[in-house]
Parts: sequence; C-alpha cells; structure tokens
Amino acid sequence: MNKRKSVDLLPYALISPLILFIICLAITPAVYTSVAAFFKVQPLNPPTHFSGLDNFRDIIHNSAVISSLGNTFLYIVIGVTLSTVLGIYIAVILQRRFKGRSILIAILILPWALPGVVEGILWTGIWDANTGVLNSVLKSLHLITHYQVFLGQNRLLTILAIEIVQVWQITPLSTILILAVLQNIPDDLYEAATIDGSNSRKSFLHITLPLIRPGIAIAVVQAIIATLNVFDQPYILNGAATTANSLAMETYAVSFQNLNFGQGYALSLLITIFTLLISVVVAKFIYKKVEY
Amino acid sequence: MKPSNLGFRRFGIGFILSWSLIPIYWVINTSFQTDAQISDTPSHLYPPTPGWANYKALLIGNGELAGMVRRSTINIFIECISATVITVVLASLAAYAFARMEFKGRKFFLFIVVMTMAFPTYTTLIPMYRIMASIHLVNTYLGIILCYVSGFLPLATWILLSYMQSLPAAIEEAGSVDGASRMQVFRLIVLPLIMPAIASTGVITFLFAWAQFIFPLVLASDQSTQPLTVIVAAIQGRHVVPYSLLSTAGVIALSVPAVIALFTNRFIVSGLINGSVK
Amino acid sequence: MLDAIKVSKSTKSVAIVVAVVSALGFSSLAVPAKAATPSTISVVLAAPPLPPAMLAEFTKATGITVKWTQLDWDSLQTKIAAAATANTFFADATDVDWSRVGQLGKLNWFLPMEKYLDTKALSADMPQLGSFTKNGHVVGIPYDASFMVTTVNKALFSKAGITKMPTTIDEYTADLKTVKAKKVVQYPLNIPFAAAEGLSTYWYETTGAFGGHILDATGKPLFTSPTSAGYKAAAWMVNAVKTGLVPPGNINVADSQGQQTLMAKGKVASTFSDYSGNVGSLYDVAASSSVVHQVQYLATPGATGPASNLGNPDGIGIPAKAKNPAGAAKFISWFTDGKNMADFAGASGTSRTWVGYFFPSRLSGIAILNKKGSIIGGDVLAGMLKTSAAVFPEGAPAWYPEFSSAVYTNLHAAAAGTMTVDAAIKAIAATATKLSSGK
Repeated sequence: MNKRKSVDLLPYALISPLILFIICLAITPAVYTSVAAFFKVQPLNPPTHFSGLDNFRDIIHNSAVISSLGNTFLYIVIGVTLSTVLGIYIAVILQRRFKGRSILIAILILPWALPGVVEGILWTGIWDANTGVLNSVLKSLHLITHYQVFLGQNRLLTILAIEIVQVWQITPLSTILILAVLQNIPDDLYEAATIDGSNSRKSFLHITLPLIRPGIAIAVVQAIIATLNVFDQPYILNGAATTANSLAMETYAVSFQNLNFGQGYALSLLITIFTLLISVVVAKFIYKKVEY
Repeated sequence: MKPSNLGFRRFGIGFILSWSLIPIYWVINTSFQTDAQISDTPSHLYPPTPGWANYKALLIGNGELAGMVRRSTINIFIECISATVITVVLASLAAYAFARMEFKGRKFFLFIVVMTMAFPTYTTLIPMYRIMASIHLVNTYLGIILCYVSGFLPLATWILLSYMQSLPAAIEEAGSVDGASRMQVFRLIVLPLIMPAIASTGVITFLFAWAQFIFPLVLASDQSTQPLTVIVAAIQGRHVVPYSLLSTAGVIALSVPAVIALFTNRFIVSGLINGSVK
Repeated sequence: MLDAIKVSKSTKSVAIVVAVVSALGFSSLAVPAKAATPSTISVVLAAPPLPPAMLAEFTKATGITVKWTQLDWDSLQTKIAAAATANTFFADATDVDWSRVGQLGKLNWFLPMEKYLDTKALSADMPQLGSFTKNGHVVGIPYDASFMVTTVNKALFSKAGITKMPTTIDEYTADLKTVKAKKVVQYPLNIPFAAAEGLSTYWYETTGAFGGHILDATGKPLFTSPTSAGYKAAAWMVNAVKTGLVPPGNINVADSQGQQTLMAKGKVASTFSDYSGNVGSLYDVAASSSVVHQVQYLATPGATGPASNLGNPDGIGIPAKAKNPAGAAKFISWFTDGKNMADFAGASGTSRTWVGYFFPSRLSGIAILNKKGSIIGGDVLAGMLKTSAAVFPEGAPAWYPEFSSAVYTNLHAAAAGTMTVDAAIKAIAATATKLSSGK
C-alpha cells in the first residue's frame, strides 16, 4: 500500500449529510435534553436556573411516576415474554417451506406495518366492556354470563389486555428476527437427531432452541425497548388512570400537563440512558457479526 | 411429514391467520355497518347491510370531513415519499463509505449512528420543534420531511451497510482495475447490486413515516401540511363521532401500509433482519 | 485497494450529487411555506369550521380571510404548550379553555384581550367573562356558554312508571333504582369513570348539586369533611357503581363516549352531568341516536330542589406569538357578536347554524334566540343558564391541570375499588393543599 499525502476526503463527503442530520436534529436535541434535566424549567414558576439533582429527587417523590414505574415493569415482563414465546412458536411453524408460506409471512407482518393511531381504534372495538366483540363472542359461546370489564378494574388484567395490543404489533418483528436465524440451521442436524431416535420435542429443545439464541437475544432487546417506551396503547385504552399508566405517559404528563419541563427532561434522560445501555450491548453483539 | 407435525402446522397456520387478521377484519367489518348496528348485542360478525355510506362521507363530496381526509392523504404521500427518497439516497452514500472505505473516525461515526437509533422520540420533541421554528420550517412540508429523514437515516444506513458488507468486494475491485473512479464504481456496480436492500430501506422508511403522529402533530399547524394520522386523531377526538365513521377513518389510514406490507413483505423481512438493531 | 482510485474528482462529483439532491428536494418541497399576509388569520379550535356563508361574510366586511383548522382537544392543548415553550407562532386565534385560564394567564402565552376589545363594556352582557380573567387580564373571550345539565330518557322513565320528574337528588336516586328494579334497563345511570377530564367535570357538577364548592378563594379544599358537598358527591358517584346503577364497563368510558354509546342508544336512562347541547346535536339526530325525541333536559336535582349548573364555557384568545393579532381581534369581536352567536345557535336557519355550537355567551344573543324560539328545550336551558355557576368564579388557578389529574385518577381508582372514597378524597385534598400553598 502506498502512502497518500493528502487525506482521503471522499468518505467524509459521503457521510457528511448523514452526520449533519444526526448532529443537527438528533444529537443537539438530545444534548439539550440532557443539560436541561439539571435545570429547573417551570414556565409557571420562573426563573429557570441550575438545580443540580432536584429534578431527579422530585421524580422519586412523584407518586404517579412511581406507580408508572411498576406498571412499566409489568409491561416489559409481559410484553417481552409473550412476544418472544409467540415469536419462537410462529418462527418454528414457518421454519420449513410449504405452499402458501410467503403469503402467511405477508399476513404476519401486517400488524407491524399499521400506524399506532389506528391500533387504538382497532382494539377499543374488541376490549370494550359495553359493546366490544370479545364480550359478545364469549357470551354467545356461553363462556360468560354477562359482559366483563377487561380494562380499568383489575390492574393485572388491564395491563395484560393493553400489553396484548402492543405484543400484537411487535411480535412480527420478533418472529422475523428469530426466523432469520432459524433458517440457517442445516437440515442434516435434525436428520441426524431423528436417526438417533429423537422426537420433535427433543429436537426443538436440544437443537433449535440453543441455536436460535442469537435471534432470540435481538428479539428480546427490541421488545424491551418497545415496551419500555409504551405510550399509545395505555393512553388510548385506559386514559391516565394509575392502574396502567406507563413511564412514557408520565414523562408526557409531567412536561405538557404540569409544565414541569425540567422534570420531564430528567425522566427522558433516565429512559434514554437505560435504552442506550441495552442498545450498546446489542450494538456490540452485532458489531462482532459484521466487522470481520 | 408425520401426522402430528401436520396437525401442529395446521393449528399454527390457523393461529397466525386469526391473530393477525381478526382485529383488522373487525375494524373493516364495523366500517361497513351503521352506528346503530355496531351497538347491537350480540355484535354483528359481518355487516348486515353492507354499504359505502361511511366511505362516501369521508372521501367524496364537499363535506368538511371529506375535504380534510383528502387533503391530509395528499400530504401524507408527499411527506412520506419525499422523506423516503432523501433517506435512501443519503443512506446509500453513507453506507458505501462505511462499507468500502477506510478513514479516520470511521468507527466513531458508526458508533454515533447506532447510538442515535436508541433515543426515545419524545426526548427530542421540544428541542426539535425549537430548531424547526428557528429556521422557519414549522408548518412546511420541508420541516416535517427533514424531521423524518433525521429520524430514519441512522436505521436506513445501518440496513444498507449490513447488506453491502455481506457482498464480496471482489466485483468492485474488478471494476476499479479498469480505472473507474469510486463513484463510478458505486453508480455502475454497487448500486445495481444493492437494489434489493434499497427496496427494503425504502419500504421500511415509508412505513415508519406513515405511522408518525406526535412529530407531525407539533410540526404541522394546519391542514396544508397535516398528514392523515393527525386527521384521524382529530376525528377521533370530536365530541360526537360515530364509531362506524371512526372505523372507516382507521381503515383508510391502514389500507396503504397494509397493501404495501402484503406486496413487499420479502423486502421488509430482509430489511428488518439487516437492521435489527432497532 | 481503494487508494488506487482518484480522490479529487470523485469527491467533487459526490458534493455535486448531494447539492443537487438537496436543491431539488428542498426547493420543490418548500412550496407550501407561505408567509401569512396581513389579510389572513389562522384560527385553530377543537371545533369544525364555521358555516362557509358566515366566514365569507366576515371576509367581505373586514377583508380578512380566515384559515380554519380543527384539532382534537387534547392535541390542541399539547400544541399550545409546545408552541408557547418553543416561543413560536402556530395560530392567530385559538382555544382558551376555562380550566386553563390561570395557567395561560400566568404564563403570558396569550395577549391581554382588554387591549383589543372593550372588555369592561362586554362584562355586563357576558356573565362568564369573569372566569376568563386572571390578575386583571382577560385571557380569552367566551364564545359558547355551554354548561353541564342533567338529561333524562323520559320514555325509559315512564316505562318504569315514573311520570313526575325528580327535583331532589334523593328522588332522583330513588327513581334510578326503580328503573333498575323494574328491569327497564339493567344499568340506568351514565357516569364516565375513565380517568380523564370529563370525570372531574362530572364531580364538580355533582358537588354543585349537593350544594357546595370544590375550593375556596385561596385554593384550599372544601371537600374533606364527610358532610361536605364534595365528599357526598364523590360517595354518591362511587356508590352508584357499587350498587349497580352504573354499568361496570363505565370504569373505562369517557364522557363523549358514554353519551354516544350508552345514552344515545337507550342503554342508560339518565346522565346526571351531560353537555347542554346534546339533545339537539346528538340525542335527536337519527344518524347517531336510537332515542330520538325521548331525551329531555332536567333542572339538575339538588339537595333540596333544583341546583345550580356548572358552567363549562369555551373561550377564544390570541397567542402571544400571533402574526396578525389585530386581525385576530377583529375576528374575535365578530365571532362573539350577539347576533352572530344567535345565528350559530340556529336563530337564522341552517345555512348559518354552526354544528356543535350550543348557546351564545352574551345575554343579548340569548335574547335574540329566545325571541325566535329556535332552540330545543330552550326555555328550560335559558332558566338554567341564569343560575349556572363557574367552578372558579375568579378564573381557574394556574395549577388546575395537575389538580384535575389528581381528581380523575383518584375518583377512577375509587370507582374501580382499588381505594376507598375516603382515601381518594384525602389524596385529592392533599394535592390541592400542596398546589395552592405553592409547595
């Protein structure tokens, strides 16, 4: 390799629009948020001034935030578990080629592609306690004697019903991530196992599951990020009630309803740090895969 | 195949179909009913008197609702298509540099790209709005498009980068021997090769842009720029709005992404796999 | 291997590509960015546009074109807050809700209306103007004098053998129990228990019916004692769910939703705190209702007789960053003119009627309307309007949104059974005390 005298400018020219966009419209706002998290920013209570960790201390004493923290934890546990288990199940069904498989994949992706605004409309028609179709069907099948209240009464049931809506949306991605890894498992591994007298359950436990672990890992991380930021589903289906309010909803309420922007920024910062921690772990993981 | 496996698969296929389609079927079903039929108990499993009345009310004629829906549909197409085109062009240039060139700070810049993918959207809402206001881009197509581009560019770059890295560099090297410049190599050799990834990136970016709500809500002040999603929420928030009409608005808003997802699922799947950091 | 390729030339070509793409993209896309000409104003409200004939009239008289944008109420409040914090323009005239008067007034997000209109002269004709005034500044002008009112499905009541309408809350409760006992409907009463603003409003109206107030002039809670009206109102509402007067599903039903899916469909027989325009705009409209001509307004039953109703007016103001405040002021002045408001309410035929509009905020406007007798249940409503009372006669406190949020989350929890009424009241009172003392 011969040494160049001047710096090779081409790559910088090529990435400059990308970097410009990131600096102007992603990093700048993020830095602004991170700095403002340490200031008292309350238009109702001026002036704005540096307040150290006050915002973070206030967060701990905000009962709505604390209840949302517990709820968000439940969203994460339920959402990650359900979307991963369903993702594995559907991926295994789609593992081998069969007639109509590609149409099935197309249909599978549908929920992922729909806008969140529509999702709320979709699911209120299902869960509604007075006119919802789920009640109607359960009653027709004589599984219930009178219409049930799914949302708002029992905390766990409410969170479960709301999280199912999100799971409906994120499971396609989990499935595809797992399926991508699953398809790379060579068939002869299964054949060899069958010859050794292994049944399909054993093959699944001893071959499939260990080998798709990388896919599961990525699926889990995307599910954690999605559930950690859950907003639309509880907001539309359960209002601001503490039975199911999420951390992201509280960030919004603290900023736009209480107009305590400093505290809102602080809360955003905490969520960002947590998300980044998870993402960095994955980024490292994927780095290994692409950087030879 | 063993009968037990066949049963397993049949059940699975049934599950996938009902899990994905029943909620969508239900909203389509209600969009073809009258408001009175929707509140009947038990619910109608199919429209008793299917008709286009709700769709006509939202799409055709001089009604104020129809005007809003039509205008916002044009807006959402302009915003999504423009954002998609700009994102794909800029992302493929950057991905080419990252995949095929050595330069100082490469790892650092790549790391930044990955990091920004993890920012929760509402962290950047108010500062982003301030920036847009200071450069007079609030309530313009350009403002909304730039906001989308900044949001989706990192993921798009990532998808294209992973795809390029999976291609052998040998073909390009053959090209470069003939004395072609790197940009000629990009245009004549790399670009045709990465077309599938460009399609993936384009479709995914378009679908993400279509789903946006909170940013266009804040950045668009009136009907000249408001996308369909904001209008659907506006309809939903009306004091008196029949659920049948709301379902119809929902069906209109989901029809485009649904059709795209059905016909381009191959590209979506490969794109999601390549960009699976998000 | 990459070093073999020439740098300078290709760098230039990329720069050109980027420049061309940006130029092409940007110039063609920036088209709708229009500078607001002085003869245009942008009006953003959570309401559909005025009838075209009316708007054209305004343009003809003043030369000002009105660009109308409708948003849902929640989105609009978000936009107002976002625009004000980012210190940027978004509308020349927009919603000033009575509940936000204190907040908006304190933040100086809206221009003082007394600089643009003769508000002193207005106040005699506009009884609700006081609740839009904070610290001596008029934040907005009420344009629709709606208030909360009790609605009853007379057909369902008479099916249960009730012909004499209740005048006290005890009679009212007994009648609801009769409707239920006679199995006319399973659940006779609609209370929207979803954790949202509508639940707070319902409680204020019920508290008024029990003969009391929510907060004193300094913002201290008046509802802590079990004998207070606010306490009784909360207990009555929660008890109504527990005893099966309210559908259990209402725990997640919001106000408009309950009116549309329950009251308008004849699934419940009464809404104690309903919107004052609903009979005309919802219950008597065949497209959205199966109880046409069955629902009527009822003077809200109180502790000893008909109670005062809760005023729930809509106002309009000029944001501080408006581009054309003078034009906006002209519009507001025309918009809140007595004759025009009477026309919005239907005084001069459908071409001048504004969908969803209820009642003029000026006594002179109501006088015109009454003369023509063109509003459904007008006589009953006019009487109620005279006695309607504001939750905050001196304007809502700046911390109202946070207080209201405590009201609806705690009442919701009490109805869901996750906390007692007593605990809910204590939590709401603690929030009021904390907020009114400035922490």
